[in-house]
Amino acid sequence: MTEPAVELDGIWKRFPGVVANAGANLTVRPGTVHAVLGENGAGKTTLMNCLAGVYLPDEGTVKLHGREMRFSSPADALAAGVGMVHQEFRLVPTFTVAENVVLGSAPRVISRPEINRSVAELAERFGFSAEPERPVWQLSMGERQRVEILKALWRDAQVLILDEPTAVLTPQEAEDLGRVLRQMVGEGRSVLFISHKLNEVTAFCDEATVLRGGATVASSVAIADVDSAALAELMVGSSTKSTETDAQRNTEMGDVVLAVDNVSVTDSRGLTAVDGVSFEVRAGEILGIAGVAGNGQRQLTDAIAGLETCRTGSVALMGDDLTSATPRDRFRAGLAYVPEDRLGVGLAPKLPIAENAVMRHYPKMRRGPILLWDRAKEFSAELVSRFEVKVGRVEDRLASLSGGNLQRLLLGRELSSEPSVVVASQPTRGLDVHGVAAIQRLLVEQRDQGTGVLMVSEDLDELLVLADRILVMSEGRVAGKFDPAVASRAEIGAAMAGVS
Amino acid sequence: MRRRLLLVVAAVLAFSLVATACGDDGGSTGGASDDVTAAWVYIGQPGDAGWTFAHDQGRQAAADATGATTLTVENIAEGSPEFEQAVRDFIAEGADIIFATSFGYMDDMEKLAAEFPDVVFDHATGFKSNDTNFTNYFGRVYQPRYLSGMIAGASTTTDTIGYVAAFPIPEVIRGINAFTLGAQVTNPDVTVQVNWTSTWFDPAVEGDAASALLEAGADVIAMHQDSTAAGEAAEAAGARWVSYNSDMSAFAPSAYLTSAVWDWGPYYTSVIEEVGAGTWDATPYWGGMDDGIVKLGSIASDVDAALVTQVNDVGDQMTAGTFDPFTGPINDQDGTERVAAGVSMDDGSMLGMDWFVDGVDGSAGG
Amino acid sequence: MKRLVLARRENPTRGGQPLAFLVGLVFALVIGALLLWSSGDPVIDTYQRMWERSFGSRDVISATLNRAVPLALAGLAVSIAAKMGLWNIGAEGQILFGATAAAGMARIGDSWPGPVLITAMLIAAAIGGALWALGPALARSEIGVSEIITTLMLNEVALRVIRYLQSGPWKDPDGFGNLQVTPLPDQAALGNIWERAHLGVLIALAVIAFFAWFMTRSVWGYELRIAGSSAKAATYIGISMRTKVLGVLLLSGAVAGFAGGIELTGTASRLNENISNGFGFAGIIVAALALMRPSGVLVVAVAFGGLQVGGQSIQLLGVSSAVSAILQALILFGAIGAGVLSAYQIRLVDRKVA
Repeated sequence: MTEPAVELDGIWKRFPGVVANAGANLTVRPGTVHAVLGENGAGKTTLMNCLAGVYLPDEGTVKLHGREMRFSSPADALAAGVGMVHQEFRLVPTFTVAENVVLGSAPRVISRPEINRSVAELAERFGFSAEPERPVWQLSMGERQRVEILKALWRDAQVLILDEPTAVLTPQEAEDLGRVLRQMVGEGRSVLFISHKLNEVTAFCDEATVLRGGATVASSVAIADVDSAALAELMVGSSTKSTETDAQRNTEMGDVVLAVDNVSVTDSRGLTAVDGVSFEVRAGEILGIAGVAGNGQRQLTDAIAGLETCRTGSVALMGDDLTSATPRDRFRAGLAYVPEDRLGVGLAPKLPIAENAVMRHYPKMRRGPILLWDRAKEFSAELVSRFEVKVGRVEDRLASLSGGNLQRLLLGRELSSEPSVVVASQPTRGLDVHGVAAIQRLLVEQRDQGTGVLMVSEDLDELLVLADRILVMSEGRVAGKFDPAVASRAEIGAAMAGVS
Repeated sequence: MRRRLLLVVAAVLAFSLVATACGDDGGSTGGASDDVTAAWVYIGQPGDAGWTFAHDQGRQAAADATGATTLTVENIAEGSPEFEQAVRDFIAEGADIIFATSFGYMDDMEKLAAEFPDVVFDHATGFKSNDTNFTNYFGRVYQPRYLSGMIAGASTTTDTIGYVAAFPIPEVIRGINAFTLGAQVTNPDVTVQVNWTSTWFDPAVEGDAASALLEAGADVIAMHQDSTAAGEAAEAAGARWVSYNSDMSAFAPSAYLTSAVWDWGPYYTSVIEEVGAGTWDATPYWGGMDDGIVKLGSIASDVDAALVTQVNDVGDQMTAGTFDPFTGPINDQDGTERVAAGVSMDDGSMLGMDWFVDGVDGSAGG
Repeated sequence: MKRLVLARRENPTRGGQPLAFLVGLVFALVIGALLLWSSGDPVIDTYQRMWERSFGSRDVISATLNRAVPLALAGLAVSIAAKMGLWNIGAEGQILFGATAAAGMARIGDSWPGPVLITAMLIAAAIGGALWALGPALARSEIGVSEIITTLMLNEVALRVIRYLQSGPWKDPDGFGNLQVTPLPDQAALGNIWERAHLGVLIALAVIAFFAWFMTRSVWGYELRIAGSSAKAATYIGISMRTKVLGVLLLSGAVAGFAGGIELTGTASRLNENISNGFGFAGIIVAALALMRPSGVLVVAVAFGGLQVGGQSIQLLGVSSAVSAILQALILFGAIGAGVLSAYQIRLVDRKVA
């Protein structure tokens, strides 16, 4: 047996209040695509960062081809042949593809045509087309990802780490990526593929290592020998139940709680993002809005919540016109909003958990100009325990929470004032199996209590299970209304694609 | 009034340094004077030319002549707590005399003089004093100004002299008026154009002001700041230049005509000697060419010998006290008679002068 | 083969900050010693004098405290704006105009009793400072013009306003035509409370303590933190970014203007154009060294004040003002550098791997 390309042994990494890796192990054979699986917060990214020189592990050893390594920077790791493509790309938008690829490792005297040619050759060798002279800002996300990969290959990385690479890709681009990865491992390189999407793992990868709670629970499982269900079970630690059994369709609909009438919104570029959308949400129903991302969903929910101005039309809550009300007044009137961007819109990442927990409620916790912090902390502690947010202390930084916990905190905060309408935009996106189930359960509970729920999701399956009615948005308009009990996926898919 | 941004230095952090430590090697003339410690507060840095340079030359001369210990501190902003701190530092070091060399130190001088009655406080260019330990000193630099004006008036072929002026205060206005009256002796048709810079030391502004005057037709430039920029502008334009404060001929050798300069050495020496001997009293001092505190600097070699003789004659009369530049009839810009024929202006009127004589083109209000 | 590398600390410790500061100070002192040595100045004597004339006796400590007052208030002003990610580079101008407003109040109330007049002057100073920040604040909140440029430019304008007042409207009739304004009435001076330290020391202390408390405990301060953390989050919960930007810049200006009022009543006999003398710019450094925390501003300002006072004194040993300025800058640089370094660690690592 050949020497493993990568060998991580007993890696521990602690952050204030959190143990991210608790003795994780990982062995990668050369010439394979190796999946690193785990729920959000399982420690996948931290482990990979330890391998890529971003973090220095507290304990444990990192070996490359049998030699022990100690990387103090990503540059060190790269010099040793480990390249990482992060979820957020690190490219200079105004530079060309070739300039980005060679940035930091260019020869002293730069001959532009020569560099363009060698970058093009490199791309061709791995089976993707690249236009070396195009500036990066013109590229799609998928194209940018390829530039990141090329950057690593240019430095002759033998081990390439891809952190959730398909999150930003179209299905077609994801397929192309799979082909490129094959080509790379064909030359004896190794690829580490971080994901929690099982279908991709089974399609692209040779072996998988599964992490749970920072430790390795299954090491180098051959993908050919297991099925998705078994992998999922390893990830979550118990048999997963479909959410379908939880959702009981509501038959009794109440009064109209949210009325959206002929709303149009202009986006920041001056284009029409929402074009005359009308619908009603009734008490005790989940109205699902389906559609491909970028068809005006975000602007629509922002307009309902008061973050965008309606160019035309009106928004009414419980019969009261709120079209020109402030976001705060809308919340006070009973409109809860879970925005698509949790960090940065729904939550303030630099502030402590408690300060985030009371962001909607502090007007009720003041005496004159003074905020009553004791009451705020009490409220936060209750919120955290009622919605099962796993935190150290409520004074800790928000950044210490995992994605699922962030969403629980956010949703919990929005629900704790007993709203009459909940608008939730992509509430389960990016969450792990447990997280998705928890959030869905909370929304279903709300519906069952008689709240009107407007749920925007790109996951049609989710809507088919949860929603009482489905609207499809396409190019800013309502492209179809469906009853999930009878509608076929094909019909809805056609509406999403804009086929009328 | 000069501002400085010490903090900008923090951004520069250059390691190329100018080692400009001031040596304090006093002479050894003996007597009580060598027990005296005299201290100077400077508004700027001595450098190679200008107001502070002239004071520092005087300090060195006095130190050599008396053997007194001398202390200096540079770049002290007027009206800031830095001045008080400097004086207290000096007194902690045993200073017997404080010489403050800029107008804006006046209020603090008055306050500190009251607090330290055993220390002599002597303030250049100010007008306050008490009867015991605080007084002021200055020189009648308008006298050599007048002489330099005579040379300038004879040198202009366009009958236009540009005057790069600092601030519209009596000291500067007096200089412009004396200069203009002198120029009119040798050239009755001359006009002196004034360009205010509102700076004491800003080479860029002062150079630009001189260039503007040159473009407007002046072919001789006079000035009242510490920098040599006006002279350099004149040099570049092939024009002539009258410098001030110290002999600045080295900075614009072909433009240089002459200068009105300070020689503080004799005054500083006498104050130190009087303090050492216990004979000093708090009488304000305003000396002229007779005391040698002000004089005409070197004259360019191409100036007509007859003119030089004429200028020297007038200078001798001033030294002898037989001629005063501000002797009537003198009219102001509106033609109003300010000084009647045969009358010499009194010191009070000179100290408060806020009008230009006829022949000056510009506003005395700034 | 080993080499030194700089790596970001994942868990910067709080205790590391003073330690790093000390290391930076020692480093700066060593470089400064080389500088003094190369310019022929006595090294030990210079440092000793610097210490003696800043913290060496009650008298000089009181002078240092006086100097710390405008530095601390300017630092507070900068740090308040920084809470929202705004850069008030115009504290200098706001100090000048605050002092100008206070001096104007003294002209109106020159017959009022001292406490009444001083109170009125300080209020006028704060309003004046806020007024001086109003233009940049509106330009920022309404049309998004960078406050960095506008506040900076107004510094020069404030200076010109004082020059204008000196040359005409407020010109001292007893000044023999010189450019100075009429002196303040005698009762407009803050009295001394300890040695030479004036009452402004206590007032500044109270103001800073108030803001340290107010910024953490008040609704306004909390909303400011949200807005500073994420403008979108602030909008999402209904905080108006426009009014917040406006409010925080006006407050920052008011604090800086107040510093001008304190400086005028505490140390000056009349309004003059050096009433600030760089305090507004120094405030940026003070705020940066204090990590934008109001509570830290106090300590930093006292150290900075001592540095200025002691740094000037070494000229008496024959050290030129240029060397003295570089030495002061070096020490600041060392301290700032240490602040940065405390977020990093220096490690010895293998030069080449694989």
